[in-house]
Amino acid sequence: MDFAKIITETTEEIFNCMIFIDIAASPPLAAGKQAMGCHVSAMIGLTGGLSAMLGIHCPSAVGLAVTGAMLGMELEEVDADVKDALGEIANMLAGGIKERLSTENIALELAIPTAVTGQSYVISAPKGSQRVVIPFTISQGQFFVEIKYQLN
Amino acid sequence: MEHAQEIINSTQEIFSSMIMLDVTPGEPFIRNNDKLINSISGIVGLAGATKGMLAIHMTNAAALAVTTAFLGMDVEEIDDDVRDAIGELANMLAGSIKSILDPSGSDIKLSMPSAIYGEDYSVDCLAGAEAVTVPFAFDGLGFVVELQLRKDS
Repeated sequence: MDFAKIITETTEEIFNCMIFIDIAASPPLAAGKQAMGCHVSAMIGLTGGLSAMLGIHCPSAVGLAVTGAMLGMELEEVDADVKDALGEIANMLAGGIKERLSTENIALELAIPTAVTGQSYVISAPKGSQRVVIPFTISQGQFFVEIKYQLN
Repeated sequence: MEHAQEIINSTQEIFSSMIMLDVTPGEPFIRNNDKLINSISGIVGLAGATKGMLAIHMTNAAALAVTTAFLGMDVEEIDDDVRDAIGELANMLAGSIKSILDPSGSDIKLSMPSAIYGEDYSVDCLAGAEAVTVPFAFDGLGFVVELQLRKDS
């Protein structure tokens, strides 16, 4: 279960094949560090062989750029289209992770995505859970894909 | 509204048995992704044949009062203890509602709880789920419990 590798591969695959944006992965953030400066997030629960929450966190400009590329239109504010697009990306990322972990005999089921937006928020996970956060860079800035998990 | 009564039963039971607080339900409503100000939300994903999300949204003042009662110790700011308590509360509520909606235990599985907190944020559920929210009051403070469900055909 190398989550850094799984997240990096899954995210690259989805952005290359579905969204058509070039992204550059960076090494995982140091343990305990969280994504900063993000104003739009989408998250989705996974459960089964482990219990997890997968999230994608973006500054507004990055959320707008990614959604614009996905929908083929220009967007000016974080609206329902942006939340839906990021929710769909979270769903696709969770699906990719589920598929990769099934090859390690870890079966997972997905919940439905939730969007969190706002000027000021932090998302925390329970004590004792593990967290892996990978930053990705596009021309408008950085976004973060994060998994928090506990073994069942 | 569908499932409002299950939310009320589960919430009253958990609060009276685990937190020793009597909470009074108000009129169920559809939460319109309203902004949450100086608040904390505990959310748990529901996966399986029935998918969804259970969330509890509280003002910081309500979260401090609930955590103080829950842990039996004074808490004065939104720290790790409060975040864990509100996440755990969402987890207990989701477990209780699951046991009512899915008595065989095969249809709904809970994912890991998360806490979201901040000065200004909103939490939307996506993917066309049906939602119902019930407000509760105690000691002049309030919170809401929101359930979103989507049954896959």
